[in-house]
Amino acid sequence: MAQVQLQGIVKAYGALQVVHAIDLDIADGEFVVLVGPSGCGKSTTLRMIAGLEDISGGMLRIGDRVVNDLPPRDRNISMVFQNYALYPHMTVRENLGFSLKIAKRAEAEIAKAVTEAAEILSLTPLLERKPGQLSGGQRQRVAMGRAIVRHPDVFLFDEPLSNLDAKLRTQMRVEIKKLHQRLGTTIVYVTHDQVEAMTLADRIVIMRDGRIEQIGTPLEVFETPVNTFVATFIGSPPMNLLEGRITDGTVELADGTRLPIPPGHGAAEGRAVTFGVRADNIMPVGHALPPTAHMADVEMEVQLSEPLGTETLLFAMLAGTEVQAKMLNPRPVRLGERLRFQISLDKCHLFDAETGAALRV
Amino acid sequence: MSRLKLPPWLVLLLPAIIILMAVVLVPLVLSFYSSFTAYQLTRPDSLTKWIGTFNYRKAAGDANFWWAFGRTVLLLTIALNLEMLLGLGLAVMVSKVTTGQRLLRTAMMFPMMFSPVLVGFQFKFIFNDNVGLVNNALQSLGLTDVAIPWLVDGHLAMFSIIFAEIWTSTSVFAILILAGLYAIPQDPVEAAKVDGCTPWQSFRFVTLPFLMPFIYIAMAIRSLDVARAYDIVQIMTNGGPARRTELLWTLIGRTAYVDARMGYANAMGYIAILLSIFFTIYFFRKLTAARSELGMGV
Amino acid sequence: MASNAEHRLRKRLLRIAHLTGLFLAMSLICLPGLWIVLNSFRPTVEIMAKPPVWIPNSLNLDHYRAMFGGVGEGGVPVLTYFRNSLIISVTSTLVALLVGMAGGYAFARYRFKGKAALFVGLMATRAVPGVALSLPLFIIMARAGIIDTHFGLILTYVALNVPFTVWLIDGFFRQVPRELAEAAEIDGCTRWQAFWKVEFPVARAGIASAGIFAFLTSWNEYALASQLTRSVNSKTMPVGLLDFTSQFTLNWGGMCALAVLMIIPALVLTFLVQKHLIAGLTFGGVKG
Repeated sequence: MAQVQLQGIVKAYGALQVVHAIDLDIADGEFVVLVGPSGCGKSTTLRMIAGLEDISGGMLRIGDRVVNDLPPRDRNISMVFQNYALYPHMTVRENLGFSLKIAKRAEAEIAKAVTEAAEILSLTPLLERKPGQLSGGQRQRVAMGRAIVRHPDVFLFDEPLSNLDAKLRTQMRVEIKKLHQRLGTTIVYVTHDQVEAMTLADRIVIMRDGRIEQIGTPLEVFETPVNTFVATFIGSPPMNLLEGRITDGTVELADGTRLPIPPGHGAAEGRAVTFGVRADNIMPVGHALPPTAHMADVEMEVQLSEPLGTETLLFAMLAGTEVQAKMLNPRPVRLGERLRFQISLDKCHLFDAETGAALRV
Repeated sequence: MSRLKLPPWLVLLLPAIIILMAVVLVPLVLSFYSSFTAYQLTRPDSLTKWIGTFNYRKAAGDANFWWAFGRTVLLLTIALNLEMLLGLGLAVMVSKVTTGQRLLRTAMMFPMMFSPVLVGFQFKFIFNDNVGLVNNALQSLGLTDVAIPWLVDGHLAMFSIIFAEIWTSTSVFAILILAGLYAIPQDPVEAAKVDGCTPWQSFRFVTLPFLMPFIYIAMAIRSLDVARAYDIVQIMTNGGPARRTELLWTLIGRTAYVDARMGYANAMGYIAILLSIFFTIYFFRKLTAARSELGMGV
Repeated sequence: MASNAEHRLRKRLLRIAHLTGLFLAMSLICLPGLWIVLNSFRPTVEIMAKPPVWIPNSLNLDHYRAMFGGVGEGGVPVLTYFRNSLIISVTSTLVALLVGMAGGYAFARYRFKGKAALFVGLMATRAVPGVALSLPLFIIMARAGIIDTHFGLILTYVALNVPFTVWLIDGFFRQVPRELAEAAEIDGCTRWQAFWKVEFPVARAGIASAGIFAFLTSWNEYALASQLTRSVNSKTMPVGLLDFTSQFTLNWGGMCALAVLMIIPALVLTFLVQKHLIAGLTFGGVKG
């Protein structure tokens, strides 16, 4: 077990820099998820930690060692790959025991570790099969089993669930979480799926274009996003963003609608701003949560509704922008119906329209 | 319609089957028959002179034949294995290059385009004890001042032939193994690295098993065409000096065309054919086994 | 466990070893051929010089002139050989391609009993050594009166090439998804039209490379040609190379010139198809 420390880590291919001086401290036993859209450098970062990519600049520590130039085998890590990366010519048993065999451990010890891992992941009946004979979920479990048998300092997961169907993904997510609770090993986990990030992580690292946008617990990044990118990336459906300008201490939208500045935020008069509100915080009157301390209301025309059972997602237009809102205890809604919506201002955000940065005071 | 309806696959395969029957199978039957006769090229009537298994018994008791047989198997074993190893090495080296790979790949195929008979002459020239490149170079560098009799000494001649054979055919292995290296999924190789393998270990335990089908394809292709070596040997030494490099094929050629003893040559030819077919089927079987090992194409 | 610095050093050493090894291997591969080309431009006296002349001081086209002039050094009728080679190789390649396409398609698209056995059987015919085959073939062709004709050699080369073209083309058709032809049939094509309008164009590049492979085999073949041809009627270039040899001497320079003439078409064609060729062989074999 070990902490992982990235100091000014850079990855460049010739003149093209894809990871720009990243700093990240991961505590011992922490579950950190790197999340971001494809091409944001999260996988590259993970592969640099693994030693599969050369580090172009900066310093990488695992435990108390600088490991920049160490090959993967000397880093005492294990990794679960997106495509499982099972050895097709070996049985499940051989796959699980491979790293220990390479490390020249005693037969008995290998057998014990394999049995144990198979037990944890309920792979015991499959031990003599080859990967070609397994289903996707089973392969995924073998890949995880292979990672845990060697009791590494750090687990690395590279989008491990992206090849599974939705139901299996939820199930495996729970298993990974349980595994972490049971083993307590440091985990660095890469995904592009923000739901996975939110549900699994102790801390989330949101990346874009080779830079870290925000680091924080799932609740922190959800409740206090530092910019519009994080605000729209985390949470589903994405946060509604309304363009406006500060006029008389309010946010005036393009069609003249005025919204109060959310508490805890502030901006100079006349500044171009973006007003952010999640669907959970804008609901039709009579179908909403109990009001909070600061409320505002607007009238919007419903364009489309998506019934989800316990709630209905409404798509409405406000000042030329499509806004998604939620309706609790739903009733049927006619298209074009005009409804009054109430906004919980305490949960709303104000961003600079140009830089996208949050305007908190 | 009253005409016989053949299944479409048979119709499609029929031309191939007919041609191969006419040009390969029928002659083979004829040669099988004539191998039981005392047929001599110069005396056509001898084709009907049935002598039973005399030719085979004669071959079995002919020391020259057995030497040639043993030498052929030895040559094939040494050459195929060395070609495989060298081809593997070459392919790995080329695959690790970052720029100019296309150029290297093309250059690598260079020897494949040479007619074997040309290769024979080329190396006959290069190993020539008087004006050959090798001796010239050795002498100019002062490594030796005598003309090394590459093609005149029995052992050296065998070496020169193997060298020429390897020169032409290593690229077949290299090219196919290179294709294999490109086709290998990167994930398992990386997983092996993370699992603690040294580069050698990940090659040995992960890359190599993946490459096996490709190696067997190369072996199978080579075994189909292994008698190309005949051209090379025939030109370079023609079995000489004093039969020290005599292979089955050169022996057959000499017996048939120089001594005109067709029946006897055909008997030996049959043994050579069976040897070749044995190699081919062996490698095709290996290929199938290696494929199912990896769970490919089942 | 080694330190970072040690690993960096090791990486660098490995890199040097890699480049050196590659350089040596490539030299070994290229030098013999280049030497032949060089010697085709050198006068015989210089080739035979003792001590050797390393830096050529007079390069000329004498050998080529002699070769095409058909007089002087042995008077080898190179142009006739070249024409024979060309006619025989091209015709046999085209026929082998047609036959191979039919056969390859059958293997790729139809399931039938004994398919694997038939496939290996076809391949095995290719394994028959040329010398061993040349004896009975010689007898039959002599009886049929087609010894020393283009036709005889063409027929032989078609048979020689069919197994390989079947294998390669089978591999290429396998890469064409079955649905493609099915879609065409649903769109109103007959099976025949579906083949020519959809499957054939998609596999065309691969088929072309199978053709070039067949061409090279015919172009370079010696063992059979040396027995089945007798005169300028049908002698091909590989057989013609032997015209430069006599009982005791070898005209190296002239031979090198003819060699260059043989290599150039092969070189160009191989270069054109190298990519498809590899793909064909491996797809056919690996994805079986």
